[in-house]
Amino acid sequence: MGLVVIAAAKTLASSAVFLFITVLLIASAKRTITCITLFAAQCVIITAQIVAMACLRRSGEAVAVAVMVLLVKVVAIPYALLRVSTGLKVSPKVSSATTPAQSAFIAAALILLAFAVVQPYARDFALDSQMLAAATAMVLTGGFLMVSRRKALMQVVGLLVLENGIFLLALTTTFGMPLVIEMGIFFDLLIWVLLVGVFIFRIRETFAHVDVSRLRRLRG
Amino acid sequence: MTLTVDVIQLLLLISVAPLLRGIIGRVKARIQNRRGASVFRPYADLRKLFRKEDLVPSTASFLFRFCPVILFAATLAAAAFVPVLHASSLLGNTGDFILLVYLLALARFFLVLGAMDGGSSFGGMGASREALVSTLAEAPLLLGLLAIAIVAHSASIASIVQWTIARQPFELSPVHAFAFVALAMVTIAETGRVPIDNPATHLELTMIHEAMVLEYSGPSLALIEWANAIKLTLMFTLLIAIFAPWGVAASLSFFGIVIAVAAFSVKMAILIVSLAALESSVAKLRMYMVPEYLGVACALSVLAVVFTAFAR
Amino acid sequence: MTLWLPLLLPLAGAIVVLAFKHHRTAVRMALAIGSTEVLLLGVCAWKVRTCGVLQQGRYLRADGLTLLFLLNLALIFIVVLAYSAGYLRHIPKGRFSSPRWYYALLFLFLFTMIGAYLSANLGMLWIAIEATTLASALLVGFYNTKGAVEAGWKYLIVCTVGIAFALFGTIALYLAAVRGGIPADAALDWTALMSAAPGMARAHDLVKLAFVFAVVGYGTKIGFVPMHSWLPDAHAEAPAPISAMLSAALLNCAMYALLRWDAIISHAIGASFSHTLLLTFGCLSLLVAVFLMIVQRDLKRLLAYSSIEHMGIVALGVGIGGPLGLFGALLHTFNHSLAKTLLFFTTGRVRDTFSTLRIDRIRGMGRAIPFTGAVLIIGGVAIVGLPPFGLFVSEFAILMAAFISSHYLLAALMLVAFSIAFGALFYHFQHMLTGEPKAPLASSRLRRSEVAAICACSICLLVLGLYIPPAFTSIIHSAMAVLQ
Repeated sequence: MGLVVIAAAKTLASSAVFLFITVLLIASAKRTITCITLFAAQCVIITAQIVAMACLRRSGEAVAVAVMVLLVKVVAIPYALLRVSTGLKVSPKVSSATTPAQSAFIAAALILLAFAVVQPYARDFALDSQMLAAATAMVLTGGFLMVSRRKALMQVVGLLVLENGIFLLALTTTFGMPLVIEMGIFFDLLIWVLLVGVFIFRIRETFAHVDVSRLRRLRG
Repeated sequence: MTLTVDVIQLLLLISVAPLLRGIIGRVKARIQNRRGASVFRPYADLRKLFRKEDLVPSTASFLFRFCPVILFAATLAAAAFVPVLHASSLLGNTGDFILLVYLLALARFFLVLGAMDGGSSFGGMGASREALVSTLAEAPLLLGLLAIAIVAHSASIASIVQWTIARQPFELSPVHAFAFVALAMVTIAETGRVPIDNPATHLELTMIHEAMVLEYSGPSLALIEWANAIKLTLMFTLLIAIFAPWGVAASLSFFGIVIAVAAFSVKMAILIVSLAALESSVAKLRMYMVPEYLGVACALSVLAVVFTAFAR
Repeated sequence: MTLWLPLLLPLAGAIVVLAFKHHRTAVRMALAIGSTEVLLLGVCAWKVRTCGVLQQGRYLRADGLTLLFLLNLALIFIVVLAYSAGYLRHIPKGRFSSPRWYYALLFLFLFTMIGAYLSANLGMLWIAIEATTLASALLVGFYNTKGAVEAGWKYLIVCTVGIAFALFGTIALYLAAVRGGIPADAALDWTALMSAAPGMARAHDLVKLAFVFAVVGYGTKIGFVPMHSWLPDAHAEAPAPISAMLSAALLNCAMYALLRWDAIISHAIGASFSHTLLLTFGCLSLLVAVFLMIVQRDLKRLLAYSSIEHMGIVALGVGIGGPLGLFGALLHTFNHSLAKTLLFFTTGRVRDTFSTLRIDRIRGMGRAIPFTGAVLIIGGVAIVGLPPFGLFVSEFAILMAAFISSHYLLAALMLVAFSIAFGALFYHFQHMLTGEPKAPLASSRLRRSEVAAICACSICLLVLGLYIPPAFTSIIHSAMAVLQ
């Protein structure tokens, strides 16, 4: 048992770092499929973290949440997104307004910003500042992905990263919300991804492209 | 005693380098469902080249034969900085990581010079590309090492290793994580591996290293290829020494050395397999994407340096 | 059971309606289920009225505030249902675009909104509000034209991002509540939050942060100004009855969430912070919306901006506070939803007749479709807040509240905004009503159900303007009691 506890503590201590890396790589990736895979990897890290928390706090509820994250975010959502991205038969590039190196520098700046922002809260509430910063950085980078990427699918990935950040924030600050609430949130997320898939296919059908920056019929 | 071990590890590094190339080639072949050549083929190649005549183009100057020698010597000197079996090295206390980086730069400078002296158009193209890649790779390499040096409060590689050993394994800090990814990316660029350059062919128009050595033959080519192999081994060893040195001999007992050799082999094997897997799974980048690739590495290393301010 | 039944019936109704492939049967089935649902909501409302508070299980709860908004929802829903029965004949066939899909999605939409009203927990409230976006996105894109798809996509993305901010706020408040000593599994129940709110004062900054995020988040759904970009598109591209649902039911639903939040935050750290924030957003929405109304070229977009304006007025009423301000705000949500439903109902007919909603191409409504023209006048008079309609009473109450609490500048701003809105609406309306029709008109006939729906709305508006029944006043007062 002692070994498990040590492993859990190590997982918790190092997961923030892995999350930083995934955030940077998602920002600088060139292909949508890479981004989706990295998103899944990010969710694997979060799952590991929840399992570690469950071990340390002996909470069965957390195990249920971990299973849900695994099913919804690691399996179902990446699968659905991959299906959409292969089904669309458009170029596999993310088509971003910034080059990969610029995106990486912007993501790096956002990570630093996140660190600077969370310091006072981490101090006041005695929370893990790295974890808080990782969550905030995910929120910020998700927003950055949404504004800089032209493809509909990448906007979805951006929003999912953002949501992951918020979820992680709940996890670090309060050890997650009550189980029923978490379940509802996951259900919403799943339906959202399905709907987004429907809409992406509709955009392709009616506009013959999936470049959302070119959707500008409605103005004013 | 220490001196003996230092010399042994330097010799080990140099002698094992061609083998490493052979193994990478073999693993790659296996991943791609081929049988592949023997792992000892690079030795046979070197032996063959050393026996052959050294042909010098009629347009070349004395530099053409002089450069490979300096290249080899500088690489050798750089190798003397890297701890392999214990937390010290032959020149470990006389210079720091900056000297290491500049020795490698010196080696590359003479390689480029020799390539241009050869007078062929391919040599010139390869040389200019190499100059581009190395200029861009310099910054992340230096910054990544600098970040580690800051948290370890020392610029000497030997004392960085000692500092890291004193910490617990798996106690990752963001500094180390970012620096590792940056340095791993730089290693691939510096040693001319797949997303940047293809070491297996001189039939591509965008080749870098193979274009530079196209004019060389005989012992000069052998020296260049050997130095190149040493450089790859050196960079890998550097990654191991800085980020996962656990297992190196603390005391210089026979048992300790044996364990150190075993640990080193395992860690090297992991790196080799990952490199082979990476080379088999990604396509080579187009030339104009190389600055982007190194830009990402640069962002990571800058982040690593800035994170030293938050290091716990 | 009184809470579970009306909540789950729409869900069952959605499935049942989907099972009927024949159009007419699907419509009849939907009407039957919808009427039952409204009856059930009536029973539920009556029970809440007699008992005060109804709590079932840990997650369902109904009190005075719920009652007021549920009544509003039931009223809007039944008129929309009646109107849709006639309106649906125009809908082109396609994937997900048939009457049975329309009704199934409409029932799901209703289900999510009832869920939002009945949830006893801020987390559930968030889930339900996010679900309203999901349920209505396909309805917004129902016509499947380029514009509709774009509007649906924008709606889905913008609202989800916005609502993600609200989740962030919810988490922050949860943290503040747990640190304030509320046990973790009750820390989102809003009764627990209300009673233990003073304990949260220690985490002063965190509570403020939470509310800012909640205002931005739910404000996106309400259509507060910097976050309003989805609203005109969605309202303009959705089928007319769905535009009515969005404007009259969905915006109120998000406003309800914000009211709950505002009450908790006011209890925790005093009302001044949250009310200032609401006043800021209210002012901004009001002013920007009225100026944008002047330049609109599309009838439904014009109405959508008017919705933003009125949500701004409601926010001002809540922000000014006091019994009169709050009374005005609550009454205004009710009145606005009736007037806006009426106006969106006319757009359906206008589109049939003129085959466009471009204001500059619509002339001579008064001659071509006199009934609809008259309804447009009634709706227009009502929506700009002229007597004898309900909005006059509520806008007047909010203005009075501003004067009483000596927000003179605010009152002046409101008066200016009202007059600009008046000018803008009547400039556009007179253009449509007068003159000669340009192009040959398509002839269409209003169905009896459409006329009935329109008449019901107008009568309610008129009644609320002339005489507020004491029963209704007491419902509003019990809603106010919940918030204070």
